[in-house]
Amino acid sequence: MKNHIIKTENISKTYNPDTVPVHALKAVNLEFSKGEFTSIVGPSGSGKTTLLNMLGGLDKPTEGHVEVDGVKITGMKDSKLIEFRLQNIGFVFQHYNLIPVFTAKENVSFIMLLQKRSKKEMEHRAEELLNKVGLGDRMDARPKQMSGGQQQRVAVARALASEPKFILADEPTANLDTSSAMNLLDIMEKMNKEQGITFIFSTHDQRVIDRARRVITMVDGQVHTDEIHKESSSTITENDSQRIDTE
Amino acid sequence: MMQSLNRGSHEIMIDNMVRFHTGYAQVQDYRFEEEASLDNAFYFDNELENRITATNNRIEMVLPRIQTFMLAGNDYATRGAMVMGIDAEKEHAFNNLKDNLISGEFFEPNDRKAVVTAGLAKRLQLETGDVLVLIGQGRFGMSANALYEISGIVRHPIREMDNQTVYLPLAEAQFLLSADGYITNLLVSTSSDRFTNTITSAIASEIDDEELTVFTWTELIPDLLQLLEFDLVGAYFLAAVLYIVIGFGFFGTILTMTLERMREFGMLLSIGMQRIKLAVVVLIETIFISLLGVLLGMGVAWLFLYYLHLNPIQLTGDVAEAIIEMGWEPILPVSFAADQFYTQGFYVFLIALVVFLFPLVKIFRLNILEASR
Ligand SMILES: Nc1ncnc2c1ncn2[C@@H]1O[C@H](COP(=O)(O)OP(=O)(O)OP(=O)(O)O)[C@@H](O)[C@H]1O
Ligand SMILES: [Mg+2]
Repeated sequence: MKNHIIKTENISKTYNPDTVPVHALKAVNLEFSKGEFTSIVGPSGSGKTTLLNMLGGLDKPTEGHVEVDGVKITGMKDSKLIEFRLQNIGFVFQHYNLIPVFTAKENVSFIMLLQKRSKKEMEHRAEELLNKVGLGDRMDARPKQMSGGQQQRVAVARALASEPKFILADEPTANLDTSSAMNLLDIMEKMNKEQGITFIFSTHDQRVIDRARRVITMVDGQVHTDEIHKESSSTITENDSQRIDTE
Repeated sequence: MMQSLNRGSHEIMIDNMVRFHTGYAQVQDYRFEEEASLDNAFYFDNELENRITATNNRIEMVLPRIQTFMLAGNDYATRGAMVMGIDAEKEHAFNNLKDNLISGEFFEPNDRKAVVTAGLAKRLQLETGDVLVLIGQGRFGMSANALYEISGIVRHPIREMDNQTVYLPLAEAQFLLSADGYITNLLVSTSSDRFTNTITSAIASEIDDEELTVFTWTELIPDLLQLLEFDLVGAYFLAAVLYIVIGFGFFGTILTMTLERMREFGMLLSIGMQRIKLAVVVLIETIFISLLGVLLGMGVAWLFLYYLHLNPIQLTGDVAEAIIEMGWEPILPVSFAADQFYTQGFYVFLIALVVFLFPLVKIFRLNILEASR
């Protein structure tokens, strides 16, 4: 018996079904397990974002349904789904969507406030997580005072703060320079290895793809390949990034 | 602001009109309204005074006046003047007339002296101590000519009256005009305009079967009242326009704020903030911003009004002339009632609530994907 944390059952998504239909997803069947470090790749327009939105309950499939931890989230009432996301799913967005008026620590605490955790726990956990992502000295900085990479690390800390079952990240490194991107990947990988946090992220970036243990390739709204890289080789990654740097 | 100015002007204007000109109510011979002549004067004695005063306990007192047009002059010039025989003590009790003295003093009841208003004095180049000639007709065509020493010069707040009034002691005027015991107008005073109608109907029923009639001040100067109402409507209209302008300005602010934050709102819904919670936060923000605006606005307005209160705007030129014509003083006084601030603050608060509907609808309609794009 498999331990599926997410399962999609024949999900399809058609945008503008009445005017110019766009078939963004076509009968996708996927299963994700606890502890995965998975990359979703594919050309632009292949349906990566659409798929991640389905997994996170941010959008509804036209057909089929999505189960998270045995709970069917497709067709859930809006407010119930929001609550479900709060308790079960972490998000990291491409544009590091932090609350601009809050400090790093407040941004991380905020999601725990929504979860109605105690003030003490919030404080403690926010500091701990910011330390882990290497921002122990930037706790009181506001998003505008931080670099893109730093903001994205705050976003990861925020996603972790709610203790979700998995974290979804749509192109988390797309707006980052190479060293920031690799640094973010290091942190995600470390969280994954040490604490078994499940990450599912989409990317265009070959260096990021190389770090994933499972790579799902989307083409034209369908799963083209779904490969397990038994051992993500750090040597290859290093060579790779060196090669790119010297180019 | 505008209402403050307007209300201030109106209060003072009504007060001046009532106290110096018409009284809150006025008793006349029933023919006097048609023909304001001495022939239509009526007999006034203590008995009538007591009867009228007794009709309602809101009546403070009655002020007898006998008035007619005569020629007033000196060696230098001659002008038409409104000669008014008054009980100076009573007038003073009603409108502080003596406080308006520019020079000299008021006559005693039995003096044979006159007090001239400042405008007339200027036109005739009269000063206290000079002699004034009055030429005219008394009751039933009797000739009425006399010389009076001017005991004082007084400023009348209604410009039209200021330019043409000669005050005489009541008894002296009655003698001059061959109208012993007769008066043309009996002003009735009360403590507040609220009682005008009450006292008027009380008096009306008392003098019902006599050749007398009673008017409220609004009946005596309907033209002015109309102007006033028109003016008030104008003020309310202006206020409405202002509120709309404020409303749209505020709406613009909130609109921009909301639209700018759609991505943020979308993110908050994504990570798990309930729409209702988000709405509450935005409501608090909206109220906070509006309160800040209201407090700031009130502070500035208060300072400005306070300044105007201490330094009323002196109007000059055409505007001033126009206002003088209407019997105002050529200043823009302000009404300084605190309740106006609260009311307007409350309106702005209401506007904030209405404006909040926009982010409210936006938040509840928000599509996460569209917002975060
Ligand atoms: N809201 C929408 N309305 C209509 N069509 C849409 C909408 N969102 C996405 N699409 C279309 O669906 C298809 C899949 O889009 P999606 O954003 O999932 O691709 P993607 O793999 O994430 O691409 P990229 O790498 O550029 O981010 C595309 O053809 C896209 O144009
Ligand atoms: Mg995408």
